[in-house]
Amino acid sequence: MTIGDCKAAGNEAQQYVWAGAIPLQIHLHDSEVTTLPPPTPALILASRLGYLPLLVPQIKPFFSSSLPPGVDTVWFDYKGLPLKWYIPTGVLFDLLCAEPERPWNITVHFRGYPGNLLIPCEGEESVKWSFINALKEAAYIINGNCKNIMNMSQSDQSELWLSVLNGQMEVYRGVSSKLKLDVAGDDFSLKLNSSSSKALQGIIDYNATAPTRTGRIPVRLYLRSIIEDIDDLEDSPIVDSWDKIAYINHPVEIYGNCFTLHDAIKALLPEFFAEKTSTDANLRVEEVGEERGSEETSSSRSPEETAEASNELTGSLSDNAEIKLVRIQGIEPKLEIPFAWIASNLIHPEHYLHICVYVKIREPINI
Amino acid sequence: MASETRKVVVHLRATGDAPILKQAKFKIAGADKFVKVIDFLRRQLHRETLFVYVNSAFSPNPDELVIDLYNNFGFDGKLVVNYACSMAWG
Repeated sequence: MTIGDCKAAGNEAQQYVWAGAIPLQIHLHDSEVTTLPPPTPALILASRLGYLPLLVPQIKPFFSSSLPPGVDTVWFDYKGLPLKWYIPTGVLFDLLCAEPERPWNITVHFRGYPGNLLIPCEGEESVKWSFINALKEAAYIINGNCKNIMNMSQSDQSELWLSVLNGQMEVYRGVSSKLKLDVAGDDFSLKLNSSSSKALQGIIDYNATAPTRTGRIPVRLYLRSIIEDIDDLEDSPIVDSWDKIAYINHPVEIYGNCFTLHDAIKALLPEFFAEKTSTDANLRVEEVGEERGSEETSSSRSPEETAEASNELTGSLSDNAEIKLVRIQGIEPKLEIPFAWIASNLIHPEHYLHICVYVKIREPINI
Repeated sequence: MASETRKVVVHLRATGDAPILKQAKFKIAGADKFVKVIDFLRRQLHRETLFVYVNSAFSPNPDELVIDLYNNFGFDGKLVVNYACSMAWG
């Protein structure tokens, strides 16, 4: 594979992400049906990167004639769980549908907004506000400030938002490239792109400094725990409360060139990589120390060593918990994939990487 | 876990014409959500509409855990929260 191919593959992955969609079958909640026969469900293809309230203008015509009198306050639920509107639709699907259901059957409500469970939403304006603030938050994590976003011209900001709203990847890339939020580990392809001899020098410099380069990737991680002993994810009990989903907003620091998705998950969820009470406990403690603190030692590891370490770690997952599934953008990426690639290609337009993790917890036996 | 019981110092700073609170620093459980800070400010200031920011930069989602915000954006042992009665940073 040539480097050109690599770059194209990167683009292709991003194109798949932007084209990703979920067929929705949207039912009007029984309590709001005032007509006989009840309205048929609405079938809509929803962008994975989109947000549910943005679909309302499309959905409303299906149901407006059936609604009871009153003012619209639109919200959605899946099997009784009110859906958080500021979580991208694809992430909700990955998280709540253990076994992907197509079409995804969800319920729409136009009345009785559960203000105690959901943040108020006033349509597109609220979603835009939430998006821009998440983008600023991500910029703050990456650069230590969000001046680039705050100094955006009004027209650039609105172009950026419209590109997300309409799923236009090329437009989005044009505007967002000005924000300088690229993943540090991805500099390599950027440098290869320019042809001057200075750039060649850049590559040499890059190679010299590569092992110590770092990048902070903003991550939103959703953790769904399954306690029952099930073999098939399809049999996972439904999520009836958001309290059952643990949520972590925590950046991952990329150390060196060999930092994999596995390393990232381990950094995010160290509790699931707890040691067994084995004789080599000391060795493992050292390893954790390396991972946490000193850049020098961890970056000096060769790829082989890293691979060896990850194999060993998979085996050393905590006795009481087991990671069943890591799902990003609807796929289950191999854990050996470099995290910088994941971050460059599978992030959402607000520059957050959303990761869904399913964990099986074996309850300790109480005597 | 230790992080669940950990307390975070929140430093509340008025922006624009928002009234200044008598007590500006509070301790809050890290496991609490940011909405608790927002609700506290609403009650103190008797205002429904309030714009709340971290580090004069962005408005976090009310669902975020205070401990995550502190770890990501805190410095000098505290989380700086700015509040304004009108939009301060768009």
